[in-house]
Amino acid sequence: MHSNALQPTGQGLDSSAQPKTFVAAILLVEDEPVTRASMAARLTRLGYRVLEAEDGRAGLDVARRERPDLIIVDWMMPEMDGPTFCEAVRRDPLLKSSQILLMTSHDKPAQIAEGLLRGADDFLSKAASRQEITARVLAGLRTSRLVRELETTSSQLESSLLLLQAKQEEMETDLHSAAAFVHSLLPPQGSPVQGISLAWEYQPSLTLGGDLFGVMAIDAEHLGLYILDASGHGVAAALRSASLMTFLRAENIIQLIGSYDPEQVLFEANRRFPLSADGEYFTLWVGQLHLPTGRLTYASAGHPGALLSQTQSPARWLMRSSFPLGFDPSALYACDRIVLKPGDRLFLLSDGIYEVSSPGGELWGRERFQKTIDEGKPMSLSATIASSFSAARGWQQAQHFPDDAAVVGIEMTGDPDERLNG
Amino acid sequence: MKIKERVLPQGIILDLEGDLTYANQAAFKVAVEKAKQAGCRHLIVNMEQVRFVDSAGLGLLVLVSQSFKRLQAQVSMLKPQNYVREIMSLANIPKMIPIYENEQDALIARAA
Repeated sequence: MHSNALQPTGQGLDSSAQPKTFVAAILLVEDEPVTRASMAARLTRLGYRVLEAEDGRAGLDVARRERPDLIIVDWMMPEMDGPTFCEAVRRDPLLKSSQILLMTSHDKPAQIAEGLLRGADDFLSKAASRQEITARVLAGLRTSRLVRELETTSSQLESSLLLLQAKQEEMETDLHSAAAFVHSLLPPQGSPVQGISLAWEYQPSLTLGGDLFGVMAIDAEHLGLYILDASGHGVAAALRSASLMTFLRAENIIQLIGSYDPEQVLFEANRRFPLSADGEYFTLWVGQLHLPTGRLTYASAGHPGALLSQTQSPARWLMRSSFPLGFDPSALYACDRIVLKPGDRLFLLSDGIYEVSSPGGELWGRERFQKTIDEGKPMSLSATIASSFSAARGWQQAQHFPDDAAVVGIEMTGDPDERLNG
Repeated sequence: MKIKERVLPQGIILDLEGDLTYANQAAFKVAVEKAKQAGCRHLIVNMEQVRFVDSAGLGLLVLVSQSFKRLQAQVSMLKPQNYVREIMSLANIPKMIPIYENEQDALIARAA
């Protein structure tokens, strides 16, 4: 303890009778021993724990050590007077919110103003009555309690915020890892088999997307294709999509139904992925390309479809009305067939690419998307896809899409005889 | 999304205004639940002022239709705009939720 700091003179209320009762601590800083003893006695009689200091420096030491609920400081003191003490308290990060009553024998307005400006909260006349002392001390303690509650709340909020930030960083790291994993499951761009080019662009609306697609060899003569779209967004949708993607793996489907016949794939998927209790479901487009002939067999479960772009005619949609997966457990999905010729391009896409609105609220829509595909014929496959994304972004005047956006392009580049899986 | 409820002797009409999407489906859920609690036998969803329905909105409509069916009640749709109609048609929704061009037809169809 600092040599100038004096021990508390009293314990206020009977602590043995009320051991758990909170007793407010008041620091009394006064150089004049008689005045200090007199005021300390009055405060002790009022039931407070009184800490005493005989000058400003000792008062600061006691305040830092004891964190009193209220400080009463005399104006006139040698070396460090009351207002200077107030300024020192306000500069101290530990003490700056302390409540200070400046004790003075004067009550001139100019002096009061100076005291307030230099950091005092209120004034107490040395000649104050018992009632006035009680009232001012109570008011000071009330404010002190509120300030401390505020500080506690603020400190708790800060801790919670730090905790939340740490959790969020952890979650984002996990999400990025999951997104990287899902991305690794997507087919590599280039040439999945000789005579066929594959390019795609995919922008999930969040880190993890619910739209996924696959292009994979089924056997030496067949290429399997699919694109799925999970309703909703975010992690839940992405997890459901990953589950369907696992189901759609070639080896799994072959084991289950013996072929990658789109009709049967959809029938089985419809049985296994019902509408959830929250109304979540998938749309799915599945195709099987016979490599030697270019014959494409495809079926859709409520998916917006695929777009066929041929060299000599405008692009056309390969679609028909059908229930998304899970809407009707007994639904059947019929197949359609077309033959793809060298130069033909097939685009699988999610509706997120064209369901974007201009700032005025107008949808970009399927027709405008189709136009970018038609106009992209002279360009490379990847450049055509990139131009569709660029046009959609230009329309919505934003880089990020409100929903997952995916466009997968397949181009028949070579002679049918070349198109065999090695 | 704004929803106005009109209670008629033959059912309840919900006049929707705004997009029926993942982000703003809560108001629709509340309105449907209220109609269900009121013992509604025919819920008519007026889509005339709905510009856009996303996949989550579509799923919600199907879910509502199925839950009404379990109660021997029905959900119908009124005057969807062209783009919404196209989305509904692609997902075969008219087979589950009949679409009508005016209130009278919707009300009569259920009564019949």
